[in-house]
Amino acid sequence: MKFSFSYWLKQFVQLLFYIYIGYPLYAFINIDTTQTSTREQAIAFIDKISALQPSDHWPHIKPALFLQNLKENIHQPLLLYEGTNTNFCGYAALSYLFMHDDPLGYAKLMLQLYTDGKAKIRNVVFQPSQPIKDVAGSLHFKGALDIRPVEQMWFLCLADHFKGYLNFFNTHYDPGDEDKLWASVNYGKFNRMAKRLFNYRVNAVGSDLMRPYIHDMYEYLVNSMKQGITVLYLNNTILRKKYDRIKANIPSHYVILLDVQQVNDDLVNITYWDYGFRTMRQLTPSFLNKIIFGISQCTIKRANEK
Amino acid sequence: MKNRVSYYILFIAVCIVSSCTTTNISKYYSKHKPVLYSIEEVYKSEYNKQKFSLLFTDKSYNHLSLELLTDSIRYIYDFETTENRLNDTLEKYHLNISAMRSLISNMQLLRCKWIDNLDYYVDDKKNYLLYLSIYKQTFRLPFIEPKYYVLTYFSQPQYYDSEGRLLDHRSRRRLRKINNEIFYRVNDKVCYTVSTLFR
Repeated sequence: MKFSFSYWLKQFVQLLFYIYIGYPLYAFINIDTTQTSTREQAIAFIDKISALQPSDHWPHIKPALFLQNLKENIHQPLLLYEGTNTNFCGYAALSYLFMHDDPLGYAKLMLQLYTDGKAKIRNVVFQPSQPIKDVAGSLHFKGALDIRPVEQMWFLCLADHFKGYLNFFNTHYDPGDEDKLWASVNYGKFNRMAKRLFNYRVNAVGSDLMRPYIHDMYEYLVNSMKQGITVLYLNNTILRKKYDRIKANIPSHYVILLDVQQVNDDLVNITYWDYGFRTMRQLTPSFLNKIIFGISQCTIKRANEK
Repeated sequence: MKNRVSYYILFIAVCIVSSCTTTNISKYYSKHKPVLYSIEEVYKSEYNKQKFSLLFTDKSYNHLSLELLTDSIRYIYDFETTENRLNDTLEKYHLNISAMRSLISNMQLLRCKWIDNLDYYVDDKKNYLLYLSIYKQTFRLPFIEPKYYVLTYFSQPQYYDSEGRLLDHRSRRRLRKINNEIFYRVNDKVCYTVSTLFR
């Protein structure tokens, strides 16, 4: 008999086995923490490499320039550059998180991508398509990104792998797509990438179209920075005084918040990172409210934290 | 009644004609050459003391945003042009106040919205060009974005194709794009384009 007493007893014993032995064993093997390393470890690792062989997978990447770029990113992570007029700002902000908390992991992943043409981080496997491999290293007229093949390769791989609703109509890379919707990052996609790639606990408020309702923005930002790295999703059209009727009311830019200070009741100093540089500017609290569409607080998960 | 209709037709015709009118950039450049030259010279000399860019943030050209680039951080200040604290800031960053004031007034005169020094790369080597956006004063239909003449000043003579388009390299026949725009020859070192983006 299939549903006899002995059958149910066996099922019950199996369940007890899973609860008391199987799951703890699984949890012990897969400790759920964010992978971290120090810059010193990354420097020690990267400085041992004196030269790279040309990669068959990336025909336009010059090995010497690649290694120089990688070393520069490890030694001076703030120099990471997203390129002028590209839609890579989301990926640049994401890379800041990576290089800040796990520079050794970053260096190893970039080298793995370069040598093998594919790489794995946590459960995400990057297997860039052929057009990506063909174009990386040859993007031009993008400012300093022209001479930064590591960023070109990494940003293109990220855009090729992760898709959000903004990429729906343009999922395959064609030349010039780095400036178009193919490379764009909606807010949900950004938070999903931070969680899946680096296992951060992401506490996000905001959206692509509506600003979050926060009573005291300054207090919120200060508290957020105490918890972890804070990424702001901003309306760059207003921030940089650009004129664009379509983008006038929507966010389009990701920056890393580095500092926020209240000067007086009418002014707030914010310091943020984007475009390979730290920027400090003075804003009124109402202007700050007007430009912020999303705040993502990315915190490192400690052992077995959910 | 007939008169009123003809006035309407005349008005619409004037609107259409004026919106289609394009100023010849070479004529514009020669007409304003002394002022443009002064802007270029003052900006370059002051930039050598302290890296900066200037942006006018309002239609009346009375408010400006001054971006100062130091080794570690970029500071962005907003000022009204008549404010005294602008002078204090210029002095703090070792910029010549009278030269900067003349740069600001010349920019106001030409309705120049943005001036910056941009980096570009040839054979993996860094070069700089001066980037100047001037508001194009023509009749603007509602919901049409404003346009700007963008002038770029190179330090060396550039290569152009037979249509006067800026080329990337002498040996390559690829067009050089700056901010995703194709540029056209004004003279050997100066190019222009018309764009809705000023920066």
